[in-house]
Amino acid sequence: MTTLREHVAALDGADDLLRIEQRVHWATDAPAIAAEAARENGPAILFENVPGTARLVSGAYGGPDQMQPRTRMPWSRVAVALGRDGDLPYTRLLQRLSATASANATPTRTELAATYGESDPYSLGLPAVGSAAGPAVTLGLIAVSADDGTTWAPIRGAVKGSAELVASVPAALGDSLSPGTDATIALGAPLACLVAAALRWTGDAGYGDPLGIAGTLDEVSVAEARGGLVPASAEAILDGTVSDVGGRPSRRAESWEYATSTTEIGLRLTDIALRDDPLIPFTPVGAPLADDIHLAGLVEAARLYHRLNSYWGVTPVEWIALPVETKLGMCLVASEILYAGFEWQLANTLFSFSRLFDKVLVLDADAPAATLARAFDDMWVKAHPSHDWQFSEPAAPAATATAYRRDGTPGSRLYINATWDPRWDDEYIAPRVGFETSFPDDVREFVLDNWRDMGFSSTPEEEE
Amino acid sequence: MTVDSLREYLSLLESRGELNRISRDVSWNLQASAVTMRADQTDDAVPAFESVPNSGACEARLIGDPFRGSRRRPWDRIAGALGLPRGLTGGEYYEVVIDRLKSPVPPTVVDREAAPCKEVVAKGEQVNLFDLPWPYIHAGDGGRYSNLHTIVTSDPDSEWIDWSYHRAMIHSGTKASVLFLAGEQTPNLYYYKYERRDEPMPIAIAVGTEPAVSLSSVMWIPTGRDEADFAGGLKRAPVELVPCETNDLLVPATAEIVIEGSVLPGRRLDEGPFGDYFGYMHGPRRSMPVLQVDAITHRERPYVPFCVEGVGVGHTLNSSTTMEVACVGPDATLGLRTAGFDVERCAPWRFTPRTVYTVSTEVSRPGYLHNLANFIFTTWGMLHIDFFVFVDTDVDPLDQRAVLEAIAVNADPNEDFHQFGVETMPKVPLNIYQTPEEKGDAETGTSKTKTAKAYIDATRGDDAPARPDYLTDSELVRKARETLARAGLPLDVQSRSEAAS
Repeated sequence: MTTLREHVAALDGADDLLRIEQRVHWATDAPAIAAEAARENGPAILFENVPGTARLVSGAYGGPDQMQPRTRMPWSRVAVALGRDGDLPYTRLLQRLSATASANATPTRTELAATYGESDPYSLGLPAVGSAAGPAVTLGLIAVSADDGTTWAPIRGAVKGSAELVASVPAALGDSLSPGTDATIALGAPLACLVAAALRWTGDAGYGDPLGIAGTLDEVSVAEARGGLVPASAEAILDGTVSDVGGRPSRRAESWEYATSTTEIGLRLTDIALRDDPLIPFTPVGAPLADDIHLAGLVEAARLYHRLNSYWGVTPVEWIALPVETKLGMCLVASEILYAGFEWQLANTLFSFSRLFDKVLVLDADAPAATLARAFDDMWVKAHPSHDWQFSEPAAPAATATAYRRDGTPGSRLYINATWDPRWDDEYIAPRVGFETSFPDDVREFVLDNWRDMGFSSTPEEEE
Repeated sequence: MTVDSLREYLSLLESRGELNRISRDVSWNLQASAVTMRADQTDDAVPAFESVPNSGACEARLIGDPFRGSRRRPWDRIAGALGLPRGLTGGEYYEVVIDRLKSPVPPTVVDREAAPCKEVVAKGEQVNLFDLPWPYIHAGDGGRYSNLHTIVTSDPDSEWIDWSYHRAMIHSGTKASVLFLAGEQTPNLYYYKYERRDEPMPIAIAVGTEPAVSLSSVMWIPTGRDEADFAGGLKRAPVELVPCETNDLLVPATAEIVIEGSVLPGRRLDEGPFGDYFGYMHGPRRSMPVLQVDAITHRERPYVPFCVEGVGVGHTLNSSTTMEVACVGPDATLGLRTAGFDVERCAPWRFTPRTVYTVSTEVSRPGYLHNLANFIFTTWGMLHIDFFVFVDTDVDPLDQRAVLEAIAVNADPNEDFHQFGVETMPKVPLNIYQTPEEKGDAETGTSKTKTAKAYIDATRGDDAPARPDYLTDSELVRKARETLARAGLPLDVQSRSEAAS
């Protein structure tokens, strides 16, 4: 099991963690520092000196953009947090997440690592992110019990009063709640649990028991709390009861909220358990490359990958990505084009199964996985500016991750076909310029064998 | 201090540890290009091939992608060539170059004896293009090329001297085909003036010029204005020119090599295939105008610079993509401002040369953007560029991540993607989205089939959601960046704060 503490220690060991020892204000400074660190493609940030009882960490699940070649990929920290190597190829991560649709592993039961004591949500020192003026919960997990056991869902909320939380949860979960329902919020849970909760409640791809998914993604231990079974290693446990289920759609903030219908609930917090020297993760909502965008993009891509490769009886899709750089407003799909017009089917199937985006870029199956430099070159040079930029009639629902038509006014969707036309003769297909394709074997061998002797300092094998 | 020759520029790179003089034999036949491509792809030093077997009587040397910038600061080497301090931000660099372009400096003419390019003069029977080691750049190319040079020609009806940048494929000791695509200044002079009058077009190809000359040759200088003046503006000193041996043209005196001749009317030779700037082999072979060489002058043991085209896509830079961001971008920004448009910056798309540009502007009214797009699609040599992206001024066009976000989040497919008609606009055949039949083999080099041009309005709409203070409050952002810097994160404290404000 990769606990948050183990994950942060791994980031530290990999020189991918920066400690802020200067005292910073929880409400304003911490989110701004987290946002700027993310924008600068910086490491995760550990706030050692904040006024609350908890230390804070941001960027634990973030990562750099792909605008430059980098030693770490955008998903590297997520891979590490799931117990994998940081250089795990994107397709492997995608396949691993998507394959949990029917997961049913049983997590191990144990005791809570946190202990109950005198505390209140204000004293934690949670940062004010998004539109919240006060302490806010992000990257949270809510556990509630039903007839068939505990379920987990993502939760984001703002602390109100001394012990109230106004929170956003998936609407489908909200529908099952009523005032008085016991619930527990876990902060600083293992990433496998957060991903499992998001997979369960995002879209309709049939992902089931989040505890089973979490147990498949990683070795997860759970413990009893007021709301049911919760991740045992969680840094903070906030027990309480549902005080309000007004059925109002919540005002979206964290990225997972854009991928599903949400509802606002009230929670009255009764007890708080903390680990020693607790460590609580947060995401600078709205900032480029923020943790929540990474997680929501991966979850949605995995869900769509599972869906599309289960849809036609064949598995033509090589990879799907909602690049964090596009803030989930665009989806990239690399696929074999089975027949002329298949690209239309691909794009419109993606539109059918996701509410996030209204732009799809279709790439050939040999496009390197989630490699944006290549994808956003092919978009302009392979797609014909008029034939291959296809707009639907203006009757499609508005995408949720975009900044326009937020009143829900219908509009067009766009897909860009940057694949070779399967009707073209082979001789029309232009070979790509590259070291492997532009030079015969003996010339390449000459370069590689003599690289150092010629006085170069880079490693010649390290292309891009 | 501004450098005055290619050799001074190479010395500058060497002093910075950014030049790799390779003493072992490296062949012009794919080897030099392969080494250069690898150096480009790994962001390593610029290779100078000091020993080229079978290089010909001139004993010339090769330089692979000398103007290629470093990935994180593409403009740094060119800034050095112009005598600018190291460490300028992209915005600072743009504004300095724009200021210099606003103050052109006319060239001076020097005696032949003072011109390094006249150290060796070959005329008549002595002329042989194969005395020079023109590189064979990609397996599958139609031939050996000179592709990093300045073409000098004149308008037969005025005093205008035009410098440009069109590749030439070597055919014999005295002949080459030149890629002239109608719609650009020099090709237009040939197709619609000289050739219609059945007159040869005098031409000189200056190879291995001082950086300011090379840089001005790729810029979109208005018709009727001499690039030489703007090269002088860039270096804040006159460029020295010298008369040709066999025609009346003036050429840069410090050039490594000058090929003098004329482009013959009504004559064509094959050109291509070639690994082209957009990253793919472009073909099939096409018919292009013929250069007849009358004289070759050069320095002793001259350097022949070349560009490995096609590798400058994605993350990799080469000479042409570097010059696009460091020269064409500032020049285009100035051009738009001069035309009265409220433009903060115009920069090429990071991953794709000569196809897409991003323009940041304060004014985002639909009619304004349409006029702006209409102006640039019709006024510049727009046969290469298919798209413009407009963003708000708090989005830096040099920040590709921010531009991507703006397109994905702000550009509504319903109303922000604008095509100027379907199949109505001209296009060069250097593309891979048209079939060979669609490209045809027109006499003037453009594609037989027309295409579309489009612009994307990726500015924020009025209904865009409010952003939290920690993203927009410049003081809060500055404070955060100072904290990060103190903690050890290397960043520019000021630049993001300016953007945030």
